Amino acid sequence: MSCMKTCMALILLLTIAYADAYGGPYTLTIPLGLTETAIPKDNPMTVEKIALGKKLYFDKRLSADDTVACSNCHDPARGFADALPTSSGIRGQFGPRNAPTVLNSAFYALQFWDGRAPTLEEQAKGPIINPVEMGMPSHDELIKKLQGIPEYVKDFQEAFGSGITIDRLAQAIAAFERTIISGNSTFDRFLYGEEPDAISESARKGLEVFRGKGRCLNCHDFNPMYAFFTDNKFHNIGVGMDRTDYDPGRFKVTQNPADKGAFKTSTLRNIELTAPYMHDGSQKTLEDVVEFYNKGGIRNPYLDGGIVPLGLSDQEKKDLVEFLKSLTGDKPQI
Amino acid sequence: MKIKKGILTSFSITILISLGGYAYIALAHGQPHSEQDLKLFEMAYQKAVDQGYKLFHDSKLGTTGQSCDMCHPDAANTHPETYPKYQTQIKKVITLGEMINWCIINPLKGEALPLDSEKMIALEAYITNQRKGVPLAPGKH
Amino acid sequence: MKPRHESGITRRDLLRAGAGTAAVTLMAGASPFGMVRMAFGSEKAQSFTFAYLSDAHLYVKSLNQKFVDSLVKGVQNVNDMDPPPDFVFFGGDLAQLGHPDELKLGKEILSGLKPKLHMMVGEHDWYLDMGEAWKGLFGPDRYSFDHKGIHFVVLNSVIVKDYWTPNNMTPEQRMLAMAQLDNPKGEAFSVGSEQRAWLEKDLKKVKPETPLVVFSHSPLYKLYRPWNFWTDDAEEVQKILSRFKIVTVFHGHTHQILTNRIGNITFHGFLSTAWPWPYAPTGMPKLSLQMDRPDPFFSTDGCGWGTIDMLGSGQADKTYQLWNRSPMKVTYQEIAAGTWPPAYAQGSSGPSY
Repeated sequence: MSCMKTCMALILLLTIAYADAYGGPYTLTIPLGLTETAIPKDNPMTVEKIALGKKLYFDKRLSADDTVACSNCHDPARGFADALPTSSGIRGQFGPRNAPTVLNSAFYALQFWDGRAPTLEEQAKGPIINPVEMGMPSHDELIKKLQGIPEYVKDFQEAFGSGITIDRLAQAIAAFERTIISGNSTFDRFLYGEEPDAISESARKGLEVFRGKGRCLNCHDFNPMYAFFTDNKFHNIGVGMDRTDYDPGRFKVTQNPADKGAFKTSTLRNIELTAPYMHDGSQKTLEDVVEFYNKGGIRNPYLDGGIVPLGLSDQEKKDLVEFLKSLTGDKPQI
Repeated sequence: MKIKKGILTSFSITILISLGGYAYIALAHGQPHSEQDLKLFEMAYQKAVDQGYKLFHDSKLGTTGQSCDMCHPDAANTHPETYPKYQTQIKKVITLGEMINWCIINPLKGEALPLDSEKMIALEAYITNQRKGVPLAPGKH
Repeated sequence: MKPRHESGITRRDLLRAGAGTAAVTLMAGASPFGMVRMAFGSEKAQSFTFAYLSDAHLYVKSLNQKFVDSLVKGVQNVNDMDPPPDFVFFGGDLAQLGHPDELKLGKEILSGLKPKLHMMVGEHDWYLDMGEAWKGLFGPDRYSFDHKGIHFVVLNSVIVKDYWTPNNMTPEQRMLAMAQLDNPKGEAFSVGSEQRAWLEKDLKKVKPETPLVVFSHSPLYKLYRPWNFWTDDAEEVQKILSRFKIVTVFHGHTHQILTNRIGNITFHGFLSTAWPWPYAPTGMPKLSLQMDRPDPFFSTDGCGWGTIDMLGSGQADKTYQLWNRSPMKVTYQEIAAGTWPPAYAQGSSGPSY
């Protein structure tokens, strides 16, 4: 009797293990300048899952009126962002924040500008039910809708060995997004590839400004081994703080008043591709961004202690922008 | 700098000439320094340390009214024995002098000192002297 | 610093939270404090919160905007408190060099505080004109008041022996000498016999069961003499306080996270809005959790302000509101039970960088 119980438990265990490891393993190639990113234990990368995630990512049927896919605001042709100050959802509605690029988002410790989602999986669930984004009334509604599409029933079976759930859907999209990584920029070849001529002299000078007088590197962090260009922290640099109804950012998540107006340090990789800039898209060009920092942001009582007027010369500003342009990486193979 | 080196060189030559072959032999055989030499070395060193102490407590190194000792009383938390090391503010392996300049430029909003200047050497002398006897630990955090 | 609560829970969060965290906190507090209340009969004391700002070290605006901005930040943070604190206490060293313009600037900034403000003097406010300008702006340098069943005493603990007259020092020279923490010729701070007599007289009317809070600029104990983290007549003052059941001392001057307990007295050091001091190389109290070294790139790292929750028992929980880091709360219960500092932090002197 007890032997039978043990055997049944064993079979059950094996089934779970098998389900978790469903599909063929996928090998991610890490480009120069990046490093391995943590893959959640319960969401291993498989060929089938990534293919499903890709299909979902581009599918407008994930929205209430079949007009908005993930790719609307995170468009591969627009640096996996949307080139708008703030993003447009269903029925032409605009949200309050600038769409962050999906490129290299796997390297963030927290997702969204305010870090309210701990993982890409959790992030993927958000916009689907946001009324001004994809506008589904609920996750259950979406799952019902997808269950009516035989192709997806088959795809989920192949990727997960089970039916469609919101968690599976989020896992598939997240797995796909973990393949959207981009490195091997001219900067990477210069710093990590030992190609001293990979970037121009102006960009090299810009790197020194970035490291020193410009005070950029301290938040847009890189190190001798790899470069994510973010410290994964939240800072108030003053963006939008001149408005009385400013976006409180991180404060909404932590309720710590010291976090008012603080937003996540975004990566600078592929920054040339993802204008306009800042959480509200208020800076149109890289030149504008540099000038914003040069002035010491917008002064307010919550301003981060690292933000001070920089006193950069016109040449230093130009060099800094040249450097930022050297951060555009290879297009990811998706 | 070139002029100073010139003076030093001619000074040594003068000593060599005035002492004749004896000095040459003494140096060649590595005999211990004379009492007078040791006193000179000590005085010169102490002069640099004293000058460093003054600079370390001088708000004129910067423009904000602050001086080094305000964050580093008795040169605490300067850890000269850990240089060269990777310094997070600069994201490079740097020397003590480069970190002193970072502090002069950033919190103090002053002008960087040439690394081989008398002032910089004096600051390094005072800071390092405060940690006399502490084992070297380059690269340590 | 290791964040005390990983989530950075504030008092406000606890107040807002549902049954979960709030209930646990109340239950944890209920039994021991309930017993204390019964034993000491101080049921008149009510719980409330006050804010602590300190050590702004203002220069005139044209010379140093950064310290001005930091105090403005502190004022804004206090005004953001919801619910607001019962009052704000300023722990001394409003000015850097005691100049009337520095003190006036400080008064102007502090006038932006919505709650009532109580002031205390520090040596940087005092030694240009021996407190004349400060007293003109803020009133007496020692006083007492009562609030919700607790007796509060404010001291001038930065009195030193006259060494300027024999040395023919100008007021400016005297001020600069006093402003140098590592001055090898500096004299030790004290409360002084005259003020101790005043203190004894003031406390005569107060029952031993009444919770007592003392504010001093320097710590009212002997920590490290070379930096004047020190009060020379600390033992005499402690003796005066010894007949009270519950005594809490809050001090500024040390610009760091600092906790001590001697007999019936718990001592709490607070942060500066301007800059953090290093920890003393010797003499650190066992109860101290040393915060990790601040990163000077972020000019406000290691700086901040504090909130103090006075419990119904008359004891105090404190929260360091650190800028650039998560808030750190230290409860009376942890200190009394010997569970502070937490095991993970014991023996750690913090990394250097």
